[in-house]
Amino acid sequence: MRSSILVFGMREGADSMTDMTMNESNELNQSQAKVFFPDPLPGQERFVAPIEETPLREVDSVDEDVPPTSMWADAWMTLRHNPMFIISTILAILVILVALFPSLFARQDPSACTLANSLEPARSGHPFGFDLQGCDVYSRVIYGARTSVSIGIMTTILVTILGGVIGAVAGFFGGWIDALLSRVTDIFFAIPMLLGAIVLLQMFRTSTSLWKIIFTLTLFGWVNMARITRSAVMEAKNLEFNTASTALGSSPIRNLFRHIIPNSLAPVIVMATTSMGTYIVSEATLSFLGVGLPPTVVSWGGDISTAQNLLTTNPSVLFYPSAALAITVLAFIMMGDAVKDALDPKSRTA
Amino acid sequence: MGKYLLRRILQMIPVVLGTTLLIYALVFALPGDPVAAMFGDKPVNQAVAAQIRSEYNLDKPFIVQYVLFLKNALTLNFGNTFAGQPVVSVIGRAFPVTVKLALMAFVFEGVFGVIFGIIGGLTKGKWSDNVILVLSLLLISVPTFVTGFILQYLFGVKWHVLPATAGANPGFMDLLMPAVVLGSVSMASIIRLTRTEITSNISEDYVRTARAKGMSNRQVILRHVLRNSLIPVVTYLGADIGGLMGGAMITERIFNIQGVGNTLFQAILRGEGTLVVSIVTILVMIFVICSLVVDMLYAVLDPRIRYA
Amino acid sequence: MSQEENMAVKADQQADVASSGPLLEVKDLKVDFTSDGRDVHAVRDASFSVYPGQWVAIVGESGSGKSTCAMSVLGLLPGTGRVVDGSIRLQGRELVGLGRKEYEDLRGSHMGLVPQDPMSNLNPVWRIGSQVKEALVANKMDVSREKRSRLAQELASSEDIKLRSSDDELFISSADLPGLLKAARQVLDEAGVPNPDKVMETFKGEWDVGSETRWGVARSLIRAGVGEDRAWGIAKAHVTGSDMNDRIAGLLSEAGLPDAATRARQYPHEFSGGMRQRALIAIGLASRPDLLIADEPTSALDVTVQKKILDHLKGLTDSLGTAVLFITHDLGLAAERAQHIVVMYKGQVVESGPSLEVLQHPQHPYTKRLVQAAPSLASQRIISAKQRGQDAERLMEHHVKGESTLERSEHVITVEHLTKEFKLPRKRELFKAVDDVSFSVKRGTTLAIVGESGSGKSTVANMVLHLLTPTSGTVTYENQDISGFKGHELMEFRRHVQPVFQNPYGSLDPMYSIYRSIEEPLRIHRIGDRKSREQRVRELLDMVEMPESVMGRYPNELSGGQRQRIAIARAMALNPDVIICDEAVSALDVLVQDQVLRLLNDLQAERGLSYLFITHDLAVVRQIADEVVVMQQGRLVEHATTDEVFDHPQRQYTRDLLDAIPGGKLRLGLD
Repeated sequence: MRSSILVFGMREGADSMTDMTMNESNELNQSQAKVFFPDPLPGQERFVAPIEETPLREVDSVDEDVPPTSMWADAWMTLRHNPMFIISTILAILVILVALFPSLFARQDPSACTLANSLEPARSGHPFGFDLQGCDVYSRVIYGARTSVSIGIMTTILVTILGGVIGAVAGFFGGWIDALLSRVTDIFFAIPMLLGAIVLLQMFRTSTSLWKIIFTLTLFGWVNMARITRSAVMEAKNLEFNTASTALGSSPIRNLFRHIIPNSLAPVIVMATTSMGTYIVSEATLSFLGVGLPPTVVSWGGDISTAQNLLTTNPSVLFYPSAALAITVLAFIMMGDAVKDALDPKSRTA
Repeated sequence: MGKYLLRRILQMIPVVLGTTLLIYALVFALPGDPVAAMFGDKPVNQAVAAQIRSEYNLDKPFIVQYVLFLKNALTLNFGNTFAGQPVVSVIGRAFPVTVKLALMAFVFEGVFGVIFGIIGGLTKGKWSDNVILVLSLLLISVPTFVTGFILQYLFGVKWHVLPATAGANPGFMDLLMPAVVLGSVSMASIIRLTRTEITSNISEDYVRTARAKGMSNRQVILRHVLRNSLIPVVTYLGADIGGLMGGAMITERIFNIQGVGNTLFQAILRGEGTLVVSIVTILVMIFVICSLVVDMLYAVLDPRIRYA
Repeated sequence: MSQEENMAVKADQQADVASSGPLLEVKDLKVDFTSDGRDVHAVRDASFSVYPGQWVAIVGESGSGKSTCAMSVLGLLPGTGRVVDGSIRLQGRELVGLGRKEYEDLRGSHMGLVPQDPMSNLNPVWRIGSQVKEALVANKMDVSREKRSRLAQELASSEDIKLRSSDDELFISSADLPGLLKAARQVLDEAGVPNPDKVMETFKGEWDVGSETRWGVARSLIRAGVGEDRAWGIAKAHVTGSDMNDRIAGLLSEAGLPDAATRARQYPHEFSGGMRQRALIAIGLASRPDLLIADEPTSALDVTVQKKILDHLKGLTDSLGTAVLFITHDLGLAAERAQHIVVMYKGQVVESGPSLEVLQHPQHPYTKRLVQAAPSLASQRIISAKQRGQDAERLMEHHVKGESTLERSEHVITVEHLTKEFKLPRKRELFKAVDDVSFSVKRGTTLAIVGESGSGKSTVANMVLHLLTPTSGTVTYENQDISGFKGHELMEFRRHVQPVFQNPYGSLDPMYSIYRSIEEPLRIHRIGDRKSREQRVRELLDMVEMPESVMGRYPNELSGGQRQRIAIARAMALNPDVIICDEAVSALDVLVQDQVLRLLNDLQAERGLSYLFITHDLAVVRQIADEVVVMQQGRLVEHATTDEVFDHPQRQYTRDLLDAIPGGKLRLGLD
């Protein structure tokens, strides 16, 4: 025992020489070696923990107590405990219900207006009062939800499809296809969405179709989605499990659909949820500017636009549609935030 | 660095060409007769119409029109408006106002966005952070024109603190409220971006290494957390200048400011294609140049880009 | 520094320490983290001490709490971590409960850190030099002269040439250097020193600006034969103290960075991993701390670089009298570098004591396991057994086939004159990743390709797997050239040649359940129906000793070793002949690594599999391979049987690799 420590001491002395030796002599003086480590220093004596206190577990055993969870189940668990998600989901569901079945929430026909009621204050059955045309503000707010929500949802779907496909193709194939698509993306990126939409929409000013808004917003809104999808696909493409699958005999196209797309969905979903609110705001803005939907279509943006002159006299007419708009947008943006937190790759172990 | 700049400039060319072509096509190739629009409902003399068509090159094939437009645009010769004024002088009158407005909005969103973002990021989870987070969410959710009306009503009409509308030659005070409205949504985005960046950077390994060096907390935050967090913020700010110029359309309408946005909007409503295309081209150019400057700035701020 | 000096210091230290007590004393340390509202005990009742100038190693697997211990000493616990009980004393001063300001005063000047991952520990936007400067400025270091610990001062005083005043500690400045060299040359000639050119070369090597002191210059001159007064005269006249930039360069060159003044102006991304680690060492030692905490400082680096850097760090801390708390997962490395070892397991200290004693007579079952499994130690045991003429066979998990057996067996995979060139961005000439490599894998045996990062070994693996097309040369499988394989033939090839990749966190799709992952090859090759596939998955899980209950789990719930076993199960699903393991065990803890290697060996013995085993770790090779191919910069430098390579390496590079296996200098008992 003792001798081994001595040997160690000597070797130790010799080791530290390797770098800076000037006149190395291997002839170690025995007495010097002895002073090196006569005994372990206080506090460095040999210590072995009692085995009862430090039970040894099997190497690398699987903890079978914890229930198995997939990535989606995991995200869902996180979401369920996030108050922001709960509030925003309740709001969003409510708004969607209103949009689907407005007649359940308002008995009054939003277009049944009598000038006699012009700017009348709230009264029984008409909680929000009347606007300049004598229309019931409450039912207009309720029926306006349908316009906003359907434009928001349809645009989001179309943008996700268009942007997603373009981004996925660019990211997956790379090379000249990517270069070409990236330039196209740059071109559309350089035109602010609102600007492009105004230029395009003023040609169809009289059309009452929601689709003109949906298509226009899609045309100028797909760029961000394409960029996000492209980078997500490029990232997923370079992950090792694709190489592993190829080596197992999988074809590139099979990899794309079975591995790459499922693994790049998370940022796309986050983007889609968050941008839904943006499209609703854009529609309202376009209607406000007078290039969106004509006044005959009930919409929040249009109502805010017509109410703007009443700001000084009857601000409540302006307030209700604005509040409805803000709450709807807030719900979708908050939901997007919550989903992002739940799907954030940084917060995940894999 | 020089090579990188050159490559970026070369990449800019197809973008500018593509964007102007797209806008030009949207304005001129779609159904509708611009000459008829010019005269409104009045009957049009065929000879006069033909003369106007040839003056605006409307009688030539679309692509020729576009090339001629480009050629003229290079010499800043955008032709005349329907009212007979040179487009350049109309733009020349409107631009300074909008540039002033956009710059004020830019400073507002940059300064307050970064300050609140830093406060939020450094006090993550505390009440100050929560308040800032909720406020920024609200600002993003409420459309600009609603924010505009509310501020206009409160400050301009009710309390008479600031002018409710701007006149022909707006000064600093006239533009203060419009600038705040214009910058508010971007400010909220900057708050969120700065906050996210700070919270993620503060747990970086190099921050721990900096602390292990014995640096004071202040120095660590300044030199390692903020320096790195502000790179994407600067990028966002730069790209936003173009967006502010475009977004000015709504603000200028609410506050009745005679700037580019209003001019453009009027031109769109009148169907005055030449003016629309000219203004949009200039806006796109500003946007593209801004993104070029941002890229350069990015390369200066982040040494890894320089050699990529 | 000479050997006697060093010994003298050690002796002084030894005499001193008993009276002055430990530099760092950790007692009953408890550290908790909060996760999902519950307290997780990361460290429980850990106690250990570090004495001035000593190297103490904490050894343990990932999650053992070794890094947490180190970080709680620095007061830099991440996230929700906090010290709940116990005491940490530095030079007798209690650290637990210190305020932020007080900690800031201690960090840098009293304790430094060399962190684990050189890639993420330098801020990418600041020049290397300014990151070193921050450390100097933060601790208000006098950049013109050396700050020596008491221990190092004793070292200096114990010598013939005395350190007299603080001015003797002034550094050479860049402005001084030309004059100094000129004067030195002159005085050498005057003193008639033989071979002055050679002496001057030594001086130039030693006299680093911002690092060598006036006293050091005088000492070199006196040793070279210059009279004492004359030497001190020159030193005084020409060594006048450095400025900030000189000092930064000096620190970097001390840490082993050549051309330090230029390097200081570069950014981290222009540095290799090894160079970054050297910069981090310079930062950690910049303010001359008494204690340096080195948290796995070389785990991310190639073995030969690892050895060089640790050798350097050892020399540096010895000369400065710095104590080092060395965190590592490698028992061999720990025992080789440290005098005292602390073994941690699941947050507790299970064993501690003098290094060699712990290593030779492990008492705790966990330590015994570690000693048994560590590849570096296992391979050293075989070497020493052979040296003593004992039968080493029983020490090997893998029974190496003799040369005669290898000769007789047929070739499954043959690689001939394989070359792969890549086009580098913005460079005209092509980069040869693999350059004329030939070898063959014999049926039922294992061929290991060994090399460091950039040696082209993984590129070879990818070409053998038909994932990359060679620029020239051929790969033949069962006497067929694989380059022509398409469609059905390719599928057939894929069925028989399967990979296991390096990164256990990347090679399984996180969206796939374990069942789906293992089933995937069966699906791709349309083998069996749902029921028979499920049956097969059960068999495979059993084969890799995983419970059937993991079928419904997802990769993120499993450890690295478990994932790697799943990857092996997936590779085995199609009953292949050949498995290509690309660094398959490199990312795993030693015990888990040992387990996976054992599994691979068992499978080979049962099923006659052939392995192509790519690794950077020669120690592992001993446990698995029959033949070894050593690659360096794309070329094959040595090809022989495993015994041949270990016993009689032909090339210097192979010898360097062997030398870099930790624990090589240890004398191991065979009990």
